[in-house]
Amino acid sequence: MAGVKPAGSWTHAYWRMVAWDFADLRLYLPVLSAVLVLQGAGLALGVGLLFGTVPRTAAVFLVTGAPVMNLITAGLIFEPQLVAEQRTRGSYEFLQSLPVPRSAAALAWYTVALVTALPAVALTLLTGVARYHLDLTVTPMVVPAMLLTCLTGVLLGLAVAHGVTAPMVAMLLSTTLIFVMTGFSPVALPADQLPGWLASVNQWLPFGPMATIVRGALVSGVASEVPRSYLVVTAWAAGSALVVAWAQGHRR
Amino acid sequence: MNVRRGARYWLDSYAAMLRFDLAAQRNWLPLFALMQILFGAGMAIIYGFYIGHLSRDAALFIVSGSPALAVLTAGLIGVVMMVTERQQAGTWDFIWSLPAPRSAAVASTFTVFTLLAVPGIVVTLALAAWRYGVTLTVSPMAAPALLLSSLMATSVGFTMAQLIAKPLVANAIVNALIFVVLLFSPVQFPISRLPIWLADVHRVLPIYYLGQVLRASVTRGLVSNLALSYAVLAAWTAAAWAGAAWVVARRR
Repeated sequence: MAGVKPAGSWTHAYWRMVAWDFADLRLYLPVLSAVLVLQGAGLALGVGLLFGTVPRTAAVFLVTGAPVMNLITAGLIFEPQLVAEQRTRGSYEFLQSLPVPRSAAALAWYTVALVTALPAVALTLLTGVARYHLDLTVTPMVVPAMLLTCLTGVLLGLAVAHGVTAPMVAMLLSTTLIFVMTGFSPVALPADQLPGWLASVNQWLPFGPMATIVRGALVSGVASEVPRSYLVVTAWAAGSALVVAWAQGHRR
Repeated sequence: MNVRRGARYWLDSYAAMLRFDLAAQRNWLPLFALMQILFGAGMAIIYGFYIGHLSRDAALFIVSGSPALAVLTAGLIGVVMMVTERQQAGTWDFIWSLPAPRSAAVASTFTVFTLLAVPGIVVTLALAAWRYGVTLTVSPMAAPALLLSSLMATSVGFTMAQLIAKPLVANAIVNALIFVVLLFSPVQFPISRLPIWLADVHRVLPIYYLGQVLRASVTRGLVSNLALSYAVLAAWTAAAWAGAAWVVARRR
């Protein structure tokens, strides 16, 4: 049918989807926010226990890396789990059939993920700074760094959620990704503490560079190769956006 | 109406449910074992990344703590995922409607997951010992220690997921918090490093005792007061069974 267009403008559709997501997830989002605080602040405090006395470098990486995990988790981990549940319940097809541009729906979800993550990011940072007595030098670059990190996480999450159709596999994949992010990526630890090959691989994976750009905006003199990291993260965002467009665009 | 009962009938039902569980989970069980090894051994390796340079004693502590990580992964992630997937698919309602005592169905689930976790625990320990170049002294108490630990974790995971009864919440809690819970658990570091209130919490929770029982079975001279640890694990197992009995037997 030619000429059938979604009702209203794109902006209108976007706001409707934001309202939809908040109403749909009104009970779930506060729990997620709380879980993120426990995750971030918990990591910052918990790793400190592994050391008798925490070295300064370790503390800087912990405090600046933990909020990055909040930003990534909100988009990358929760979205695949939500979509997996929608698929199991059968509401996935219904949501996809709504007369709303896919880009508006995706941006609405990004907004929701930001609103869920940012309070946790702030609390995680405050907890870490208070525990290890650090002086952060926050620059305005923190805004684009955090926005881009969260956006890339959301796009990666959407790619997994819409690209992987078996709910169980998507859940397992998101659990594996959180594991890789926590332990095998230089997010809250210096890259030189990883084996050489793993550190090299991580230069091209998204998690390490995400941490680098955020860390560069929070402390001076610790993060190196910040412009390169922006490029890597942007490339992952663009690649994921293509996967999402393909997965949602083709007919089944 | 002739109501069937008695030990013979229960045992027949138990055997039938064992066949049912093994057949129903045949695709999922190998994945479960693989995930457990990856996470258990992975966590043991990750602690090394965070700490950087390890002394010999710290390495022995981490290696001898690794079986506890594998046990907790199986019990908290594996069992919870299995239970929640069955909740979403309505499988539990089907199982409860079978002409078998519910206790036999639960006993069969416990048996399958308890035994299934054992190879993963052994492989995790071997991988961790190899990674850090540590030699272990395995005592004959390793067999009962492994079985009781695995049974305790399976029982607690099962009862927790059944009590929460909200698959999304249970999965969010497990996925985002498992690593933080493990970070704050005195398994990979001495309990004396915890703040006193948290150490007291861990003298009630089973994780510390699980670590002690398993550590004692592969090292000499690191663990004292072992009888208390066994008693606490047994008490948690009994409490989980009581909880399971309540949640499974009630009518909705």
